[in-house]
Amino acid sequence: MEQVFEGTPQAEIRLEGRKLVRGDVTNDWGSQLLWEIRRNGEVVATVPARANNSYEHADTTPGQYEVVLQMFKYEGYAKDPAGNFTKSKLIEVSNKVSYTVG
Amino acid sequence: MFHVGHEKVPMCSGHGPTRRSFLQAGSAGLAALSLPTWMSLESQGAVNPAEQKIRNCITIFLVGSPGQVDTWDMKPEAPAQIRGKFTPIDTNVPGIQICEHFPLMARMMDKVALIRSLHHKTGASHENGQRWMMTGHEFNADSMKPHSGSVISKVFGSRGTLPASIVLPGKIGNTGAGPLHGQTAAHLGSAHEPFVLGADPAKSDFKVVDLAPPAGQTEFRLNARRQLLGQIDEVQRKAETEPEAGRDTAYARAFNLLTSPEAKQAFDLTQETPKQQDRYGRNTLGQSCLMARRLVERGCRYVTVNHFDTVFNLSCWDMHADGNSLNNTYADYERLLCPQFDWAFTALIEDLEYRGMLKDTVVCVLSEMGRTPTINPRGGRDHHTTAWTNFLCGGSIKGGQAIGSTDKTGSVPQNNPIEPPQVLASIYHAMGIDLETTMMPGPGNRPIRLVEAEPIDQLFG
Repeated sequence: MEQVFEGTPQAEIRLEGRKLVRGDVTNDWGSQLLWEIRRNGEVVATVPARANNSYEHADTTPGQYEVVLQMFKYEGYAKDPAGNFTKSKLIEVSNKVSYTVG
Repeated sequence: MFHVGHEKVPMCSGHGPTRRSFLQAGSAGLAALSLPTWMSLESQGAVNPAEQKIRNCITIFLVGSPGQVDTWDMKPEAPAQIRGKFTPIDTNVPGIQICEHFPLMARMMDKVALIRSLHHKTGASHENGQRWMMTGHEFNADSMKPHSGSVISKVFGSRGTLPASIVLPGKIGNTGAGPLHGQTAAHLGSAHEPFVLGADPAKSDFKVVDLAPPAGQTEFRLNARRQLLGQIDEVQRKAETEPEAGRDTAYARAFNLLTSPEAKQAFDLTQETPKQQDRYGRNTLGQSCLMARRLVERGCRYVTVNHFDTVFNLSCWDMHADGNSLNNTYADYERLLCPQFDWAFTALIEDLEYRGMLKDTVVCVLSEMGRTPTINPRGGRDHHTTAWTNFLCGGSIKGGQAIGSTDKTGSVPQNNPIEPPQVLASIYHAMGIDLETTMMPGPGNRPIRLVEAEPIDQLFG
């Protein structure tokens, strides 16, 4: 019996200064939940978000930061020769917030 | 004090048991009671159900088997080919660390008793381990042994309209080496077969097949069906020599489920809030765990949640990384399996505790074996039976401890080696069964012990 994942997860995130705060995830699939942090468009960190509802990224390198919550969407175990999932992937499940350092 | 099966039977009248009730009890404790016998005694005032101390059990079976070194027995000091990719984190119990991908479980380790020295000496197939951990016995097709839920059904009987033992969402199917997984009632008879949900509670169109009357089926037709089933029972009663068959048949049980509003409610997850369903995880494991809580809350004594019914062609714990039908890797553990388990397991424990049920419900997380300490050339780990970790919590289990340990590589037990029958003995003990006095009928109705082992003392402080 293949695992079933129905519905679409969704969460609201906001900034309190530079601290990221998330609400509960509705339609939560229970899979990996991450903060994806970009600086000037480049991914600089993915941080586990499941255990805590808030996170402050310690990196203060100057730049424009954009953050979104991601959750793993399972659509099969198939992987390419390098071991990467071919169908399953991380998807965005929240609004985006941004802040500037420096 | 009179013992019926495992029970110390309080005498409401203050008098001892009658000769008749003694005989009905079945060889004075040598045979466990069936429900009809229990009810018969109860109707005579010989027992007081209010004084029973029977606990419930929810078992989550991690089909495929997690690697002990990647989960609950990490070896950060070992070479890279052994310690693997993940990092240990502290828990709320000093000295006990577990995998970084169980952050929520780490916060409730004070409730959990890890058994880190499990091992068995038979071959490294999934089925061997499943038989050990589902029944406490090794056996073949000629000497089948009953599933632990069937044993509980035999010892305690059912409570209300729900079966005593229920399997969610389905039985284990093909895991590679044959059909004997230890999931049947064996010689205990059809009345004690676990009720198998056979449907996925995470699906939005979920219905319990056996609970949903066919379209157009009315109560009148259902009652007619009951009469027919009764006639079938009568024929069966005459045909079968097994004494249990005439009293508590699978047919009657199915009918009760089919017609009972209480049973339907027990299986109806829409009665839970969306927030609660989210907290368990909108996936097959999470919703099965939520349903397990509902079932125990409403009278089921023993729920088995199988995390997967096969190891082939899906993401599961069987991490061979073979590039084919067994191509599970660290990516599956990190992205899906560990987070999903962490979310569902901790939701279940929190929920049981919030409702005051954890003290009466033993929660067991079992698997059939462990995985090789050395990572294979493809980046996976293969079958390993000489050391693995399972755990228990709730009921009378003393949490916040790790029982037994393994060597520097997680290959073999270093101290306090534990074998599967000891785990089953512990589960029975934790549910309130006295293993010294409670027997079950074996083949030919010869009284036999539930399991040939003693409970693990440390589990109970």
